[in-house]
Amino acid sequence: MRALQRYRIHLGTAAWILHRLSGLGLILYLLLHIWVIHHLAKGQAEFDGIMHSFNNPLFKFLEVGLVGVILYHLWNGLRVTLFDFGLFIEKQKQVFGAAVVLWLATWAVVAYAMLTRVGGLLAAVVRAGGGGLS
Amino acid sequence: MAHQDTEKKLVTFRVKRYNPEGGERTRFSQEYKVEVMKGQSVLDCLNEIRWKQDGSLTFRRSCKSGICGSCAMTINGVNRLACETQALALGSSTITVEPLKGFAVIKDLAVDIDPMVEKLLAVKPYLITKTPPPSDAERLQSPEERARLDGLYECILCGACTSSCPSFWADEQYLGPHAFLKAYRFIADSRDEAPGEHFDALDDKHGLWRCHTIFNCVEACPKSLNPTKAIEALRRELVKEKIG
Repeated sequence: MRALQRYRIHLGTAAWILHRLSGLGLILYLLLHIWVIHHLAKGQAEFDGIMHSFNNPLFKFLEVGLVGVILYHLWNGLRVTLFDFGLFIEKQKQVFGAAVVLWLATWAVVAYAMLTRVGGLLAAVVRAGGGGLS
Repeated sequence: MAHQDTEKKLVTFRVKRYNPEGGERTRFSQEYKVEVMKGQSVLDCLNEIRWKQDGSLTFRRSCKSGICGSCAMTINGVNRLACETQALALGSSTITVEPLKGFAVIKDLAVDIDPMVEKLLAVKPYLITKTPPPSDAERLQSPEERARLDGLYECILCGACTSSCPSFWADEQYLGPHAFLKAYRFIADSRDEAPGEHFDALDDKHGLWRCHTIFNCVEACPKSLNPTKAIEALRRELVKEKIG
C-alpha cells in the first residue's frame, strides 16, 4: 500500500478501520486458541497446565475485551451485510449508530455475566424471579 | 447589516505544491493570504492568488459552475470542487489545498487523470445496442425506465470519489467508484442491449469486490451521488447472473 494518505476520517472510514482491526484481532485470537487447544493432544496434565496459566485476572480482562472485539465485528458485519442486500445504504451513518448501540449493549450484558460469573448471575435471577424454586 | 455581508476576512491558504522542473524546492507547502468576502469560493481565492500574488500556481478550472469537474481537489482534507466550496463556510482561518490523492501530480494542483479515464473506458461507458433504432423515432423509454437513471447520469467525472477511496489508494489498478457508477448508468438503462459487455471489466480482482463500503466516495461526491449504492446493485446483478 502506498504511504497512508492524509484524508479526513469520516464515520464510514472509522467503522471500516475498526472492522479491519477487530478482524485482525479475531485472527490472532483464533491462532492462540488453536495453540491452546492443541495441548489436548499432549494429555490431560499438559492441557490442565496451560489452562491454569490463563486462569488469572489479566486473562479474564482480556477475555472481556475479546468479547467486545467479536461483538463489534458481528454488529458492523451485519451492518455491511444490510448494504449488500441493498438496504439502508443511504442511512449508513444511522445504521452505524444502531450497530454501536447494539454492540455496547450486548457487550455490557455479556461482560457483566462473565465478570460476575454466569452461575452466580443465573442463581441471582432464579432467586429474584422464582423465589420458591431454590 | 449590509456592512456585514461585504466584510472581508483574512484567510491563509496553505497550498501543497509540486514543481516538476525540480531545483531546490520540488515538493513544498506555500502559504498565501487572501482577503475573503462572504460567498467567495475557494476557486475565486486560487484565481486571486494566481492573478495577483503568484502566477506560477497551477490548477485546473473551467466552468466555475460545478459541471465541468476540472477543479476537484482536496480542501481541508476532503475532496471537493473548489468552485462549489465557499471559503468562509469552511470556518477555518487556514485552508489547506492539496491535489487529488492517488493520482500522479503534474504540477501543483493539476493531477494526471488519464488512468481514471482508461478505467472509465474499460466499462464501455456508452449505450450498446444490437438492434437498429426505429426508423422514425428515438429509442423510447417509459418515465419509470428513465427514472431508474436518476442518481447515475449526473456524474461529471471530476474524480473526487475515486481519489478519496482507500481501496484505490491500496490498489492503483482498482477501477474506482466513478467507473462503477458509470457502468451501472448503462446497465440500468432499458435501452442497453448488452449489459454483459459493461460487466466484463467489473468481475475482476481490481473490480467490484474490492469495495469495502467505506463510503468515502459518497462523502466526496459534489453531486451528492451514491456510488456505493451502484456498486452494491452491480454486485447483486452479478451474483444473480452467476448463480441464478
